Amino acid sequence: MNFGSKSFKPRPPDKGSFPLDHFGECKTFKETFMRCLRENSFDNSKCRLQSKDYLECRMDHQLMAREPLQKLGFKDLMDPPPSQEESTP
Amino acid sequence: MMFWVVFLQVSSSGVMLPLLLRPPFSPPLTGCVRALHCSSQWIMRSRAEHLLRRQLTSRLPMRRHSRKSRSQEEEWRTRNKTVLTYIAAAGVGMIGLSYAAVPLYRLYCQATGLGGTAVAGHDTDQVETMKPVKERVIKVTFNADTHASIQWNFRPQQTEIYVVPGETALAFYRAKNPTDKPIIGISTYNVVPFDAGQYFNKIQCFCFEEQRLNPHEEVDMPVFFYIDPEFDDDPRMARVDTITLSYTFFEAKEGQQLPLPGYSYN
Repeated sequence: MNFGSKSFKPRPPDKGSFPLDHFGECKTFKETFMRCLRENSFDNSKCRLQSKDYLECRMDHQLMAREPLQKLGFKDLMDPPPSQEESTP
Repeated sequence: MMFWVVFLQVSSSGVMLPLLLRPPFSPPLTGCVRALHCSSQWIMRSRAEHLLRRQLTSRLPMRRHSRKSRSQEEEWRTRNKTVLTYIAAAGVGMIGLSYAAVPLYRLYCQATGLGGTAVAGHDTDQVETMKPVKERVIKVTFNADTHASIQWNFRPQQTEIYVVPGETALAFYRAKNPTDKPIIGISTYNVVPFDAGQYFNKIQCFCFEEQRLNPHEEVDMPVFFYIDPEFDDDPRMARVDTITLSYTFFEAKEGQQLPLPGYSYN
């Protein structure tokens, strides 16, 4: 090991750890997401809807702390509120 | 083997210089022996000269020079004292500086972001407001390792995924416990290249907390992460196109307390 060279410092995750899905409650959503990835040559941008569905499933089954989806970076996938005239792309 | 002990006496002073001389049987010792002999002679000669000089000066009248030499001695003494005080102060100052350097360096690193430390100001609200940088596509490859003692089967469910900075991404690992006893594992991760690791932010994952797998159980383990949009602005990251995320699982013993990372950076 070189002294003086930078080493990696792991950081804890922002929202902690996912509880394990022991009963496979969200397995179908995961399978949909993986299939979408495989079809789109693993491009994440094309499968964001499926990842949003998976996280929503986790929240529904108490496997994840419930949070508004904007906080998880899905602002662009949210339906615009009816008061707004134009929809964000 | 005979040891010769030679005592050289200087009669007027009574100083005895004991010297140990070995018979020169072995060739590498002859040089040492010769040097010892020469040095002993030189020491003897210089001591004799010194003693003679002292005896001579003691016989001369000292009264004329006594006052002047005393004041001169006092001057020397005060000068020596001030010099010693300065040196002692410098020594204490150096020690204090070395203690103060640790927090000062940490502040400096946080301000300038050098050394790969997490820059203060990394907050979770950024996820809401960040805009994806669509032009910069980065390939994230996944690696899964287990420590030799843990019997889980641990592997990623996708080999790679293409993301852009500023966009949250989801990836899956799978772990299976093929044994008949429940096993508790705990994992840590690594990101290569190291410099890119500071831009790799995990929103939620399965690391650093104990995960228990019952016998013959298989679970999916998600990792929800994003790459900081500032990744695109960093000139050091201009040629980085692939980031590898590597997880390693270890077996956690009951009641073991592992130090969690991040305790000293906040």
